[in-house]
Amino acid sequence: MKKNTTQLLFILFISCAVFSVSLFTVSPCQGEETLNYRLKWLFNASVTGDILAEDQNLFAGEGLDVKVKAGGPERDAIRELEMGYATFGVASADQVIRARAKGAPVVVIAQLFQVNPLQWISKTNKPAINTVEDLRGRTVGITYGGNDETIMKTLLARAGIKENELTLASVRYDYTPFYMDKIEVWPVYKNAQGIIIGEKLRKEGEDIRFFNPGDHGVQFVANSVVTSEKMLKNNPDTVARFKKALLKGWHMAMDPANQDMALAVLEKYNKDTPRALQEKQLAATRDLVWPDRTKDIGRIDVKAWQQTEQMMLEQGLIKSTVKIEAALIIPSKDNSN
Amino acid sequence: MLVRRISQFFIVYGAGIGFLLALKSILGLSDYVIPGFMEIWNTGLAVANDYLYDVLNTLGVAMIGQILSIIMAFSIGTAARKSSWLGSFIKAAAYNIQAYPIVAVAPIIFILLGDGFASRLIIAAMICYFPLLLSVVSIMSEPITDIEHFYLATGRMRWQLEIKIRAFENIRKLTTVISGSATLAMAGTIVAEFIAANAGIGHAIRIALYQSDLSRILAALFLIGIFLSLYQGTLEWLGEKIIKKWVILDPEEIP
Amino acid sequence: MFLECRDLGYRYPQSPEFVFQDISLQLDTPGFHALFGPSGVGKTSFAKLLTGDINGYTGEILKKENAIFLYTYNQERLPGWSSIGRHLDKITPPGMADLCQELVEIFGMEPFMNQKFSQLSLGQQNRINLIRYLLQDFDLLVMDESLANVDERSKENIIFKIKERFPDKYFLYISHNLMEVSKFSNAILVLLKAGKQPQTSLIKGLNIHRNDVINSHELDTVLLGIMNAC
Repeated sequence: MKKNTTQLLFILFISCAVFSVSLFTVSPCQGEETLNYRLKWLFNASVTGDILAEDQNLFAGEGLDVKVKAGGPERDAIRELEMGYATFGVASADQVIRARAKGAPVVVIAQLFQVNPLQWISKTNKPAINTVEDLRGRTVGITYGGNDETIMKTLLARAGIKENELTLASVRYDYTPFYMDKIEVWPVYKNAQGIIIGEKLRKEGEDIRFFNPGDHGVQFVANSVVTSEKMLKNNPDTVARFKKALLKGWHMAMDPANQDMALAVLEKYNKDTPRALQEKQLAATRDLVWPDRTKDIGRIDVKAWQQTEQMMLEQGLIKSTVKIEAALIIPSKDNSN
Repeated sequence: MLVRRISQFFIVYGAGIGFLLALKSILGLSDYVIPGFMEIWNTGLAVANDYLYDVLNTLGVAMIGQILSIIMAFSIGTAARKSSWLGSFIKAAAYNIQAYPIVAVAPIIFILLGDGFASRLIIAAMICYFPLLLSVVSIMSEPITDIEHFYLATGRMRWQLEIKIRAFENIRKLTTVISGSATLAMAGTIVAEFIAANAGIGHAIRIALYQSDLSRILAALFLIGIFLSLYQGTLEWLGEKIIKKWVILDPEEIP
Repeated sequence: MFLECRDLGYRYPQSPEFVFQDISLQLDTPGFHALFGPSGVGKTSFAKLLTGDINGYTGEILKKENAIFLYTYNQERLPGWSSIGRHLDKITPPGMADLCQELVEIFGMEPFMNQKFSQLSLGQQNRINLIRYLLQDFDLLVMDESLANVDERSKENIIFKIKERFPDKYFLYISHNLMEVSKFSNAILVLLKAGKQPQTSLIKGLNIHRNDVINSHELDTVLLGIMNAC
């Protein structure tokens, strides 16, 4: 009886193991198989180029069947690449660096945001924040564990401001403390919540201003397109075609001449935000993704990446350097600095 | 019982870690997806103190919330037992509200009350209140005819006696539901902290999740499991003590 | 008149069939009486109608003014949180402590006073339950199988004691034991199944007391009377 039970348990264990392997083993590219492209966040103005590329069949034009999937707080594109659930993804620089530090075989093929949309807002009826020094004595919101915590702490450290010289308050997706002036300086994505909050306050006779860490020497790279080392090595052509179609989509989305089309696509994928707001969000996104019209969309700013890595090292978020430039896939003719 | 509970937890936790490591090995996953044993161990040591404080913080809120909900459930449950209308209404309301995920209401509570202690306490209390209330209402509205008959027939019945009789006869049910609600309270508090609080182990897990740090999450889960096992085991032990003392012969009464 | 039933009928809620109908009787003599009949014939329902534990009957039940009717049955339990001795102390009316002590001794429960109800045997449980009812103020006590699981000798002792100690009270003893009801009861109301005419019969029992000698011929007459009635 005991022997039978042992045998049964053994068979059960082997079955579970085989099942698990079959469940998780997904080849990233097999013939006409759909390629999943996992975004970092939900469908909004920050992903206009991604959804436009799908909507306008730009991927199909390159012979690819790509499914653009919304991200979210519980989604991790890098993890999905490794598990085989996605072939391409969007991740921020801190995610990529942290992943590389832990041996994840992820590479960056394009940098979507040239200017980090993560900035801080404050009300115009409060004292202005023109320099980092102006943060002394203020109540500043940060998302503990998020990249805004890293950015703010870097700003403070470089300005020689100790954390007890201001109040750092934990924030979440509820802006009531900001509206009620309990937290004076609040982190937002300039091209997303920043627009919404600004509109809301203007209706009440108030207004906001933005504090951009990038203007104060802190370059922290934001959303970038990633894939796995294996995918790049085994299917370089697919990667190239994907990147071509994607950046074409972004070009189309960011071109003011295509505004109506871009907004129509945005409205289709994001029905919750009114068009008037989406228009402003799109304009703000344009300034972040394509600030310099003489340069290509999607170019990788190696110096900014290196600075991001350095910030994470200083903050103790990674134990040692990962030499992030090794993970940045830059075509030889690219003029990125 | 306590030792058994904790050893059971160690077995389950160990099996879970073993499974993850086996999966890592079989699929060749990096430390980013599933960290290695040494990383889990080292991270655990590094965050032990902070997480210990966080877990105790959360456990404290859960315990107070559970006590509050026990008091509320007993008060309302015993009050509702007499009136069939009120009893039915409370039962129906409790069933319906219980079906609604309290954690979906949590953001509203945090908006109204902020992200401090009060919000976490209310959510912890609400999570375990409704199952307790239903049990208490059900127990208190069901007469124990074989015992109550004498008192009713001789005009001796009082509401305090009636409650005492019904509580006594269902003591095992009550202690079981109270022990069970401990898990609910703890889970609810953690989820509430995860959503919107600024303290506690749920908050720490949220930070770890933002940083995709599975080692920290595993360390948090370990501490949660240990302390929850201790808490539940203690409640079960207390329940058994009460039953032994109250239900079974009191040693002092043996001639 | 102590108790009179006129055309008493009863059916269970939502049932079209009567359990019993047109029962008429009078009870004017205190003492130990019995209610006998096959299982399911409605003895307990009948008794509960008399004591007011259930309602919804047809006919009339007339009782002496302010008469207290109590009903006890063999599955009653004492609360389990204290010893039976402590429980008896709490429910013994003032001035009845001596009677309580007497009953405890006669019923053979003295050695168990420190035990809890759940630790007693079924017979002991029935005995202690009966004791607490006997201590209360009542005019008629319905004892529904109250001495089930009690050995014959103890049962006899108890019934004799009840007769001696409570000569002015009415007892209605429900039992399936033909010999028992024949020997100890004064009047035996035999209740039969619905549909039988008549549905009740009143048989005179031997009503023996302590030290009485049983006349076997008289006993046979009573037994036969009951069997014929059934």
